[in-house]
Amino acid sequence: MQKIAIKKGHNINISGLASREFSNTSTQKLVSISPQDFNYIKPKLLVKEGDQVSLGDALFFDKINPEVKWPSIASGTISKIVYGERRAVLDIIIEVDAEKEKNIELDKQINLSSKDNVKEFIQKHNFWPFFTQRPFNKVVNPSDSPKCIVVSLADSSPLANDLSFSLAENKEFIISALSNLKKLTDGHLYVAVRGDNFSFLSDYDFINLIQVEGPHPSGNVGVILNRVNPLNQNEVVWTVQGSHLPVLGKLFSKGVIDFSLNICIGGPAVKPSYIKSRIGARFDLYKDSLLMENVRIISGNVLTGKQVDIDGFLGFYHSSFSVIEESFERPFVGWLHPGGKSKYSVFNAYLGSNKKSFDFTTLQNGSNRAFVPIDAWEKVFPMDIYINALARSIEANDIDEMEQLGIYECDEEDVALCSFVCPSKSDVGAIIRKGLDTIYFDK
Amino acid sequence: MNFLRKIFEETGKLVEKGKPLSWAYPVWEAADTIFFSTNKQTSKGPHIRDNMDIKRTMFFVVIALIPCYIFGAYNIGYLNALAMEIERGIVGNTIFGFTYVIPILIATFVAGAICELTFAIIRKHEVNEGFLVSCALIPLTMPPDVPLWQVFIGTSFGIIIGKEIFGGVGTNIFNPALTSRAFMYFAFPTKISGDKVWAVGPDGYSGATALAIPANPVEYDTASNLFAANTQFDYSTVNMFWGLIPGSIGETNKLLILLGALFLIYCGIASWRIMVSSVLGLVFTSLLFNLLNYLTVDGILQAGGFPNAMLTITPLQHILVGSFFFGTVFMATEPVTSSHTNTGRWIYGFLIGVLTVIIRSINPAYPEGVFLAILIMNMFAPLIDYYVVQANIKMRLARNV
Repeated sequence: MQKIAIKKGHNINISGLASREFSNTSTQKLVSISPQDFNYIKPKLLVKEGDQVSLGDALFFDKINPEVKWPSIASGTISKIVYGERRAVLDIIIEVDAEKEKNIELDKQINLSSKDNVKEFIQKHNFWPFFTQRPFNKVVNPSDSPKCIVVSLADSSPLANDLSFSLAENKEFIISALSNLKKLTDGHLYVAVRGDNFSFLSDYDFINLIQVEGPHPSGNVGVILNRVNPLNQNEVVWTVQGSHLPVLGKLFSKGVIDFSLNICIGGPAVKPSYIKSRIGARFDLYKDSLLMENVRIISGNVLTGKQVDIDGFLGFYHSSFSVIEESFERPFVGWLHPGGKSKYSVFNAYLGSNKKSFDFTTLQNGSNRAFVPIDAWEKVFPMDIYINALARSIEANDIDEMEQLGIYECDEEDVALCSFVCPSKSDVGAIIRKGLDTIYFDK
Repeated sequence: MNFLRKIFEETGKLVEKGKPLSWAYPVWEAADTIFFSTNKQTSKGPHIRDNMDIKRTMFFVVIALIPCYIFGAYNIGYLNALAMEIERGIVGNTIFGFTYVIPILIATFVAGAICELTFAIIRKHEVNEGFLVSCALIPLTMPPDVPLWQVFIGTSFGIIIGKEIFGGVGTNIFNPALTSRAFMYFAFPTKISGDKVWAVGPDGYSGATALAIPANPVEYDTASNLFAANTQFDYSTVNMFWGLIPGSIGETNKLLILLGALFLIYCGIASWRIMVSSVLGLVFTSLLFNLLNYLTVDGILQAGGFPNAMLTITPLQHILVGSFFFGTVFMATEPVTSSHTNTGRWIYGFLIGVLTVIIRSINPAYPEGVFLAILIMNMFAPLIDYYVVQANIKMRLARNV
């Protein structure tokens, strides 16, 4: 067991944390998978509206990397394909046929003795989209051999799904998933946990267990990698979402395709709860828990999630919904405000703020201004990267310098807190993504 | 409040895109967001943001300067009363001082606002609240009896040449407030070169500043003795700390500057690394010079140009005389023009301390060297950062074998 302690960072004290129990809801009728959730793919649809699909059937593939196909996340009928601008596919909505899902045949020919067998098995069931890589945070190229694989079971983001609770019943599947993940790499399999959670994993030699301590972003894959095995140029590291381990484990151990997922709903504008649901769940079903009219529903966490409508769906890699109030308030000379319960800042800039959990809204709390480096980003960015210099090199479009300064180790989620604290209200994540895009399309 | 809100909403329609007055949008936006916090919303992740913004950041620096203003005004009155040999009382002295401070303040802000707003309109960038800090700093570096037209020209020069020609706040190389101070120093040397005292007294009233005493002694002696021998002003260590000595308006009271420094450090706005390291640099160099003086005066080394009374100033006296303390707290820590990396900040601050003592002690032409030291280090800050970042790059390359 290896311990890493992160000092720089900040746990945002946002209200609306779900308590550790499941609430009852009816089952999902509609689920969706959105090609927009995957970076750098060119989707080509294999189905059309009205088609019958079964769990795991290929829905679309990537024209750049045709091996990688996306599985149907339900059995039923393709009820609608939503197109956006320039006919980009936004959502493939499937009407769930519960009967059909129950009667699906098991895959009994499970041969996972070698790396190639595991790869073939994943390919057969179209499970590659569960595997993402660093750099670029995109779906892996199956022919790559990753230098290591990292799984974080210690998500530290605000109102994150507490995996030690929501995966509690899936011990054997987690182990099955991890043992087969190990076969995919010649290097280490790192699993990050917090405190004594998942202590049963320490019995297994093939796992490099890492105990992380400290505030967000300590649970991020990028931050953990930066500490234990930094990503260099021309290297690839694979990762899967911790919340997806049972899905993989069920496939590897029993040949069952089961996309159920325990999700959590949290935030100041909603009654927080854990719910037994599934990948691609629709928020509509949980709208009774909303506490107010004007809300922003976010698939994922409040830092990196994606805004969805009230009848929107959970993103493929997300395992929580966050709901905050849409505020249009304009307080009189708000920047002169002495402080109190209505203000939250990581700076000691308001009297008596930060003490209790805070009802965040969608207000930006300031206008966009030129960047003034008062060390705000560095306070919450724990990697050994000069993030300010990196941002400048990206704005200057200098690819060599970006690479030298370590852009491959960064992802949007790692710098989300920098945007949160930035007094100039810059979007650091967008800058990093711009740099990664520049490099990706240059090669 | 609704009435005010309505005014802004109505005028806001006039400066929308495509309207004839759209060029005035940055000015309107600045005024609008001063009165009412912006309701700009986050568009994508992060969906929530901290309550700190540039307005508040800059405003906090101004808050830290307010005590210096009040004491500066009192000190003007106090020194004047001393010269005129009258009694005026604390309130009377302060009011008297403000009759000098407020016109300078107004001249600075008018000049600053004209430059900033004009450039915001022409260059179509938003009005950055940083200019408020520059304008709040400039009067504090001025002698109380400085002519207002000089202040006006100096401020305009500082804002335009120090900041706007480089693209505005965030891309400037030199501290705008110090640029205007340097400009005035060289353009109007009779007024503010720093050897004659800056007190408002009767016609022809003059005297030597604390720094000028050891720089031009009648006869060589240690600085402490020279300070003690001066009868016109009380240049004792304690009095120099409390600031009842002639000097620029804001620089004299070290306690209030220290409080301002602690406030800015507590709020996370100014870098304590720069402050600490520049004091370290100053102490290091002045001790070195004390040693040099010991060696030359007491006979081991003999060289031309010695003995120099400036070399005998103790580290504590160096901190207390002149505007070193003010400069290191409020000028050197200016985030844009100082180093942007923490390692760099240590080096940058240390060298400011070193250069301050060198300019003060070795070069008799400039009794006060702080602002030159900071401007020189402003120039070298990007270079320091470059090498700090290169070290990080080398580390990354070495790892990638």
